[in-house]
Amino acid sequence: MELVRRWWIRYGLQMAVVSLGIAIAWILRQSQGLALMETYEFLSRPFQAQYSAQQELQDAKLRDLQYRLTESENQNQRFKTLLGDEPRITESSSTWATVIGRSADSWWQQIMVGRGSNDGIKIGSIAVGPGGLVGRVTNVSTYSSRILLISDPTSQVGAIISRTRQMGVLRGQTQDSAVLEFFERDPAVKPGDIVMTSPFSTLFPPGIPIGRVRSVNIDKQPAPEAIVEFSAPMGLLEFVKIYPFTAKE
Amino acid sequence: MPNSKLNWLLSALITLGSLLICLLALPTRSPGMTLMGIGPNWLLIWLVAWSLNRPVVIAIAAGIALGFLQDAMTLTDQIQIVPTHAVGMAIAGGLTAILQKQRYIQEDFISVALIVFGMAVVVETSIAIQLTLISRDISTIWMMQQRIALSSAILSSLWSPVLHFPLSRWWRRLDSTEK
Repeated sequence: MELVRRWWIRYGLQMAVVSLGIAIAWILRQSQGLALMETYEFLSRPFQAQYSAQQELQDAKLRDLQYRLTESENQNQRFKTLLGDEPRITESSSTWATVIGRSADSWWQQIMVGRGSNDGIKIGSIAVGPGGLVGRVTNVSTYSSRILLISDPTSQVGAIISRTRQMGVLRGQTQDSAVLEFFERDPAVKPGDIVMTSPFSTLFPPGIPIGRVRSVNIDKQPAPEAIVEFSAPMGLLEFVKIYPFTAKE
Repeated sequence: MPNSKLNWLLSALITLGSLLICLLALPTRSPGMTLMGIGPNWLLIWLVAWSLNRPVVIAIAAGIALGFLQDAMTLTDQIQIVPTHAVGMAIAGGLTAILQKQRYIQEDFISVALIVFGMAVVVETSIAIQLTLISRDISTIWMMQQRIALSSAILSSLWSPVLHFPLSRWWRRLDSTEK
């Protein structure tokens, strides 16, 4: 008995501590270490790179969408070829061109690019910028050409609402927006709809993105109209891609 | 005399050279030199500098020529007769010469800047009128006219001394040597 008492005096405290430790460990074990996870999360918070993870995911999402879009475009292309509808513009024959100047007076909305007939550019070729349709080539010299932007008031583009296939004519307004006049009295269109070039456009090939509907004015006479904001930044163009195209008769 | 011939050649070179520089400066949009995407009308500044000390008829003729030059820089493949810049530029050149003849104005920076301001409004308005005559979209044109005329007038008048000062000095020196 004396032996036990001496041992208890000597190691009692340690025993109590170890027991407490066992108890705590047991509790933690039974709670599946949630407290430990919380502590780990709290301590590692300064080292967590949340934004980059989010960005990574967004990039991955974007890539996913891009791949799917490419796949859909390829399929679409193949279907069209099967149906005997040859693509009117081809990626392989396009040329990149640098914007070297804007229009020489304030009334026209034009850009000058540093590519000309020497690079295979002809009058009527289509210029597409980052984001969408930009304009068409109106004058060509050997090493330069002039492009009339679709934001010019004299420029008219046959356009279609991608969602509902409503058609209309798009006229520029010199700023980063244009007016889309519909042929129908009661067009199915709402803000946010995507606008593309229509299959009935004579000067432009179908299916090139133009912009997004900002607002709709149904009561406008003689035809209802919508304000469309261009997807290509017309004031900030530095490069455009030029596709050969001949206007339909 | 070889000296006067050389002088004449140099004068023609400077006049045509400055004109060419103005013409080629039109499509540029240097940062800090634009207002709402609109740059100064260098050809108009040159025209005012040229017309200040010249007969009215010559100023009008110069205006027509410069207007055609600016047309050449802007016309598209659909051949157009109107709108032409020649009308507005001819009026601007003629008015400048008349104003100077009537001694309403002196030839200092402020007056020149004021003339350029007024003439820029005249030029842009003449194009707006021509566009109104051939187009149906009148409200857009006159909204554009306000924006374009004001920006172009402000910028052109502020930049006019840059061109007017060396050119007028040169032409005056040429006159005095001839006399």
